[in-house]
Amino acid sequence: MTGPLADRQAALVAALTAGAPVPPGFDARLVEVARTALLRKRAGEVARQWPLLAAAHGPRWPATFAAWAAARPTNGSVRDGWDLARAQAASGVLPRLAAEELAAREATFRYDGTGAVRRRRAPALARAAGAVAVQVGGRVRLLRRPA
Amino acid sequence: MTTPVNTPATTPAYGVGIGWRPEIAGVVAGLPGLRFAEVVAESVHPHAPLPDALAALVDRGVAVVPHGVRLNLGGAEPVEAARVTAFAAVAERLRAPLASEHIAFVRAGGVEAGHLLPLPRTREAVAAVAANVRRVQDELAVPLALEPIAALFDWPDDELTEAEFVTAILDATGARLLLDVANVYANARNRGADPLAVLAALPLDRVAYVHVAGGAEHDGVYHDTHTDAVPAEVLALVTELCARHRPPALMLERDGHYPPEADLRAELDAIAAAAGYPAVT
Repeated sequence: MTGPLADRQAALVAALTAGAPVPPGFDARLVEVARTALLRKRAGEVARQWPLLAAAHGPRWPATFAAWAAARPTNGSVRDGWDLARAQAASGVLPRLAAEELAAREATFRYDGTGAVRRRRAPALARAAGAVAVQVGGRVRLLRRPA
Repeated sequence: MTTPVNTPATTPAYGVGIGWRPEIAGVVAGLPGLRFAEVVAESVHPHAPLPDALAALVDRGVAVVPHGVRLNLGGAEPVEAARVTAFAAVAERLRAPLASEHIAFVRAGGVEAGHLLPLPRTREAVAAVAANVRRVQDELAVPLALEPIAALFDWPDDELTEAEFVTAILDATGARLLLDVANVYANARNRGADPLAVLAALPLDRVAYVHVAGGAEHDGVYHDTHTDAVPAEVLALVTELCARHRPPALMLERDGHYPPEADLRAELDAIAAAAGYPAVT
């Protein structure tokens, strides 16, 4: 493959993060190994930011995260976990523990799904998959747990 | 060619250090002999107060080196000015004797890779990295050390060996070498090369400090995970390196799956023993 370095780097990143084909000339098996390793590393990083989300999926967490993230380049582990939790809530598959974590997060921070995560200054009530959390002065309480 | 900044006679030998992470701050604080640590540069706010545990390390005279992972020195585009400014500010905040980054790229076309990716070992890539390194050096008040990464694959059009590639970048910039012996081990094992031969080809007199880390095999390939124990082969490489040219500092990198404190301390002791430095525990 030829072309300016910038284009070639972009093609490689697309193959590793967005499901694009492996650029010609690379060892496809090793690039696939790297792609898998990258998803495993991201799953670990998201688990650190979203411990209950990861714990609620148990041993299936790495595979669950990888399936969701395979064609989604990272926006950072906080946002990646948030986006996955919201997607699972929307499709009714967010586990109970994870719903509580998401509701608490929603009550504490403002996140529009595309930009930076910002701490809320005002008190807030948030719902997620049946969980309800209220935040006042930075302290969060769960009002209702999911059924 | 710029004259490289070699280890001057006044450089203190720091001995064995560790990568500071919030999860192991308590363990690090409890190391009486510690004189060297490293922190991920992007995890430190350039202006807000330092985390207490990190401030305490700096105050007790531990050299804390910021280690950048997001500058993208290997990107084909110029390194982002705001990132360079923040990196330099963090080095200043930590009163660091030097700072470090990688010979790698981490994003392209506006997309984050989420990992350090290898560069083609070409003259074009040497020039791209060197230009970015100079942009950082222009703002940074202390020497910069560059770390060659562990690569799971190579580019199809490599013109240079890894040692030639690294040396060309160091020659062009005067930067020092952050040698990761676990990366040397991983690359040699995965490429079917002799790690000692790789070591011998590197400019060991320019080593600023050394990383030691653990890894594991997945899919028939050795991965430099930083979440597994340091293998005996990597410790053996530490001994071989120190027999040739003992670096002023060698530090353990651990980035997750943190073991019990006793295991972490045992790894630090094993590095000290392999290097011939006093234990810091």
